[in-house]
Amino acid sequence: MNRTARLGAFILFTLAILLTGIFIIGSKRYLFTPTYELKAQFANVAGLQQGADVMVGGLHAGTVKAVDLPNNPDGKLTVTMMMNESTRKIVRKNSIASIETEGLLGNQYVAVSFGASDQAEVKSGDTIASVPPLQMSELVAKANGLLGEGQAAMKNINQVSEHLKSVSAKIDQGQGTVGALINDRSIYNNFDETAKKADATVASAQTGIKDFQDNMEALKHNFLLRGFFKNRGYEDSADLGKDAIANAPDGTPVKEFDYDAKDLFDKQDTARLKGQKKLKDAGEYLAGNDFGVAVIEIAAGAKGSSDTDMTLAEGRALALRDYIVQHYGFDDTKLKTLSLGKQPGEVSKSGWGEIKILIYPVGTAMPPDKNPDKSQQDNSSQSSR
Amino acid sequence: MSTNPTAVSAVHSKPNLLLGMLEWFGEFGIFVWQVLCAAIKPPFEFKEFVRQLDEVGSRSLPLVMLAGAATGTVLALETRQSLVQFGAKSLLPTTIVYSVITEMGPIITALVVSGRVGAGIGAELAAMKVTEQIDAIATSAVDPRRLLASTRIAACIIAMPLLTLAASFSGVFMGWVASTLMEPITLVRFINQGFQGAGFKDFLPSTFKTCVFGLIIGCVASFQGMRARGGAQGVGSSATTSVVLSSLFVILADVVLVKIILLIWS
Repeated sequence: MNRTARLGAFILFTLAILLTGIFIIGSKRYLFTPTYELKAQFANVAGLQQGADVMVGGLHAGTVKAVDLPNNPDGKLTVTMMMNESTRKIVRKNSIASIETEGLLGNQYVAVSFGASDQAEVKSGDTIASVPPLQMSELVAKANGLLGEGQAAMKNINQVSEHLKSVSAKIDQGQGTVGALINDRSIYNNFDETAKKADATVASAQTGIKDFQDNMEALKHNFLLRGFFKNRGYEDSADLGKDAIANAPDGTPVKEFDYDAKDLFDKQDTARLKGQKKLKDAGEYLAGNDFGVAVIEIAAGAKGSSDTDMTLAEGRALALRDYIVQHYGFDDTKLKTLSLGKQPGEVSKSGWGEIKILIYPVGTAMPPDKNPDKSQQDNSSQSSR
Repeated sequence: MSTNPTAVSAVHSKPNLLLGMLEWFGEFGIFVWQVLCAAIKPPFEFKEFVRQLDEVGSRSLPLVMLAGAATGTVLALETRQSLVQFGAKSLLPTTIVYSVITEMGPIITALVVSGRVGAGIGAELAAMKVTEQIDAIATSAVDPRRLLASTRIAACIIAMPLLTLAASFSGVFMGWVASTLMEPITLVRFINQGFQGAGFKDFLPSTFKTCVFGLIIGCVASFQGMRARGGAQGVGSSATTSVVLSSLFVILADVVLVKIILLIWS
């Protein structure tokens, strides 16, 4: 290679580099692509500089040509942007320019939003609307406020935990009631002893109750007291309501026996039977005929309180049922009682209350028990016997 | 020797330090003025200019590109470390491109050229001077300043920006190679990111300020060569002095030029 050719190659090579550099930088500045001018006004440009990027839809589409201060204090800063011609179809009259930051502390750039398709296209030199930039200092001020609140909250939490600490320290040292409970073993020992004693007490109390029951049973049969129970008509209150049902069975009874309570009982307020012979026809019917359910329905009359009348009705039902079951032979599980409590009754003229024995045909569903527990208990005790 | 001290002897003879410096600057000013006056008058020494342009430009190209490549590589490796610490790794292309085209390319080129060309011109002219060839040229009615000095200075002025472009190119390219070896990035993306926000004010003034470096290297080397005294020792000291002084003045001039460029373009 001779000297001149070598020199020519050197010059061409370096000039090519120069042109490449100029072209690269020029294309960044849109020197070689058609552009148009767009303006936006801001009260504050937050450090936006000449030469900053303009993004349309996140794509680099122009540069900031100039940032000019206003002529008077009431004016706004004018940002002039050189936009790539290709964005002209997207940017419309209602597009909005905003100044944003790359990352948290990066450079400022202008973002131009897409316009609405029904709006006119922008002409070179048009001014579009803008939104004020979000400034780092404002963010920091807000964050500062938040931090202040957080700090106050932490202080409160600190105080609370301080209190907790002192409380738990006191407990640990055995101060106060809880501390004594936790730290003093003797209290637990006392508890333990007390519980043992209580256990023994309960056991002896149970024995005592058993004895008392035996005594009571004996007393009931003692001649001095027998009269009371006899007059009352039944001995054991626990038996009350044993065979009671919750409601009358469905269907109509095939046979009905009605009695005035005055004809059957000794006094208006007792369950002691007197005219029990009158039950003969009902008892014989029950013993002689097949039936589904028989119900002794008792109204206690209009006198007395509801409570005593319910007890009276249940007592009378119990006495009647016992009498019939003992004197006439049939399946006594089918004979139930139904106490109506304080009711004058339909047929009674005396006001003592009335008794109906209702006999339902075979196939009648057994109504639910009024006191399932009691009848259950009774049944099981019967079966164990 | 003592009556006509060279710059080196002026620096070393303490009592005459200030005086020697002033004398040197005076002589240098007169020399530059005479060369300028001789250069603008025809006939122009075009053949000699082309020969010198080849000597300064083409023959320096491999050296300058190698220096630029090394600079770009080192920048990529070193800068990456510090940028990673700040979580600004994505700024690596920008940093490399910006450093190379604004400062590293020009100054590395100037120092390499002042080493290679400055020493060459200084030694060549000094040898011609001590063997009285320059006096012979002068007696044949040819101004040695125009024939020897102005062509070399002009060649330096023209070649420097071109060499700088080559150095910057190889610096940026090797910067990309080094970057992509550490973390793959396409050349297009590297260039796009690198020239992000770069303007002509970053590229052209810093490239063409090297014309001033060329002027300094050419003038200092020619002056030192043409005022050489003595025999082989004079040639040696002339070559050394031209390299030392041209490198020093290039760096000092760079300070002033950068300040001027910043004043004008920002």
